[in-house]
Amino acid sequence: MTNQRTIIGALIALATGLTILGVAHAAAEPALSAASTKTINDAAPKPTSSTADHTKFEVLQAEFKSGPEVTKACLTCHTEAAKQVHLSKHWTWEYKNPDTGQVLGKKHVINNFCTAVASNEDHCSACHIGYGWADDKFDFTVQENVDCLVCHDTTGAYKKLPGLAGHPNYETMEWPPKSGRLRPPTDLKKVAQNVGQTSRKTCGACHFRGGGGDAVKHGDLDSSLETPQRYLDVHMDADGLDFACSKCHVTDAHEVPGSRYAPTTTDTNGAQMRGSKKIRNPVTCQACHGSAPHGKADAKLNDHTKKIACQTCHIPAYARGPRHAKMSWDWSTAGKLDEHGTRIKTRNSIGKVEYDSNKGHFTYDRYVIPEYQWFNGKVKYTLFGDQIDASNVVKINEFLGGPEDPDARIWPVRVFRGKQMYDKGLNTLAVLHTAGNDDTAYWKNYDWDKALAAGMKAVGAEYSGSMGFVATEMSWPITHMVAPKEDALKCEQCHAKGGRLAGIDGAYIPARDRIVAMDMAGFSLALLALISVLVHGAMRIFVSSKNKD
Amino acid sequence: MLKILAGFFSGVALIAILGWNTAGGFMMTEHESPFGVEETAARIQANIQALADHGWKLSGLRSPSVSVAAAGTNVPPVLLVEACSTKYSAPLLAEDATRILSILMPCTITVYKKEDGKTYVGTMNAGLMGKMFGAKVSGIMDQVAKDQKAFLSFDPNKPAPALIKTRPGGGKGSGGQELSGC
Repeated sequence: MTNQRTIIGALIALATGLTILGVAHAAAEPALSAASTKTINDAAPKPTSSTADHTKFEVLQAEFKSGPEVTKACLTCHTEAAKQVHLSKHWTWEYKNPDTGQVLGKKHVINNFCTAVASNEDHCSACHIGYGWADDKFDFTVQENVDCLVCHDTTGAYKKLPGLAGHPNYETMEWPPKSGRLRPPTDLKKVAQNVGQTSRKTCGACHFRGGGGDAVKHGDLDSSLETPQRYLDVHMDADGLDFACSKCHVTDAHEVPGSRYAPTTTDTNGAQMRGSKKIRNPVTCQACHGSAPHGKADAKLNDHTKKIACQTCHIPAYARGPRHAKMSWDWSTAGKLDEHGTRIKTRNSIGKVEYDSNKGHFTYDRYVIPEYQWFNGKVKYTLFGDQIDASNVVKINEFLGGPEDPDARIWPVRVFRGKQMYDKGLNTLAVLHTAGNDDTAYWKNYDWDKALAAGMKAVGAEYSGSMGFVATEMSWPITHMVAPKEDALKCEQCHAKGGRLAGIDGAYIPARDRIVAMDMAGFSLALLALISVLVHGAMRIFVSSKNKD
Repeated sequence: MLKILAGFFSGVALIAILGWNTAGGFMMTEHESPFGVEETAARIQANIQALADHGWKLSGLRSPSVSVAAAGTNVPPVLLVEACSTKYSAPLLAEDATRILSILMPCTITVYKKEDGKTYVGTMNAGLMGKMFGAKVSGIMDQVAKDQKAFLSFDPNKPAPALIKTRPGGGKGSGGQELSGC
């Protein structure tokens, strides 16, 4: 009977809770309607903020036949632009790390996605800000080869397709291949006449879709950030602050700050006045928020910044939007064909490709809890030619730093796990020639040896003829998808046994860690206090009864 | 005598407190799933459809986390798989005395992610609940409980089925990225 009453009581409580939840959700509805109304109103014409109307420029009235023709026209006014671009990492795809001496950049590193640019230039260069990079003979000094439109298009109609060496399609083209969908020729004149500032969409064309598709590479960058809601990114919130990428990545002479090769993990310089010429990375949280951003009520949190990156608390998970991030890529299963010898593609429950003969197996996830590690901004890469230990997981890049390092902070990290090709004879990670219409491309003939020989040749090596697969990890610092402050990690998410920072060494985290002697001393004192109170009380009762007698 | 009564009522109070605190655990069950949120929900849906001869039909798929996100707050993904069996619901809805149990319809199974990054499945303890409402309801709910157990039986060797974005009420969804909220 008691149990039944208890259960009925629990049911009533449950129903009450559900009702409250229902009311809360109902209350959310008007907010949605209001947001919709605002969008419709915003569609009304607004005066442009630009001082130049490019549709009126005579040089842009031409019927352009190619991208370089457009660039030539742009350069008639923007005379220094191409020279600036030529010095940028977006153009060179090269970066020499001053700490390690390693020559990095997309042109040189090996990753655990499609492995490398070498031998696959005509496909990879769909994300290069240039025209014509089809092979290693590309001339990086020609100004007209700079692609202005890919960053400055405002029409949304400009698209560089893989296989065209960085050009958009100038003729009608079936895209994606064998889809039956025809893509009309790019209207270069229209795009050229509608250039403007960069936007989340233009940057995202490559940075949301790196690694061969949406939400593949970074984890914290995907197409849901084109028009994000507040919950997903408080800075880019399309109905709120609506930051473009360039709001933080403040660009000077076409050099965009912010680097995966040498990130700024620690910034103790305080807030930076915009326009300041002080040489520092303006993309850090501190560059706007300062080094002690929490108010008096939360002042203790400011102490945390000495050891913890802002991102650790303020990005509680990545891939929090509707897109699922690719989490792993297993090349070792690639190449299986159906009984007719044709390519197989299978999809998972949400329609994402789970297996592709061209690429192997993938896994995906959403709302991913990051891994956490010490990071001082120094990254060591395993480059082509570096000897590997294939019996262990090979770290494609390794974030350095530890608890004793004053420049290190605890950072949230996405670790992308893969299984990829290596040359057993040379004992080094291998470069695969994936795409192309030639006989050696893996996606053409599914012949590992031919594709590896071609890929390795492109980096000046001779394939030994023996290949295997090795488990790899590639780390990405998580720094986008900043949640509203109310959604930052709560104390108990780290200050607990088995909490977020369970794997962090070298730091004493109250509630996660304990010093037995101190605990014993504390408990002993409490026990002594209790005993004293009891003895004192007993004595008073005793004395009082004695006095009555 | 006073001491005996005081001891008795203290015992009752203690049991009531304990019962109150543990009732939630009795009324609902939680299982860890080896799959992601969407795949788990899709496998449950497939299992529900496999029991069509028991009258089961999918009646909806909702995501309360979508509603919460629209209001500006982050919560991990939650999917509510809704199903209904007329075989079990008809006798309950036919009588005035048990029609109030329609509050428990459709049968809802929740799939969600937790702080540890793992996926969990939550169900109502249909068997225990049924016992509170007499023999007839208990008999029906025992059957529901058995079927519910079958819904949560996953064969990892079977490929992942597609998630069926059914609109609440049983119609076909729009096929878009987002699901209905609450």
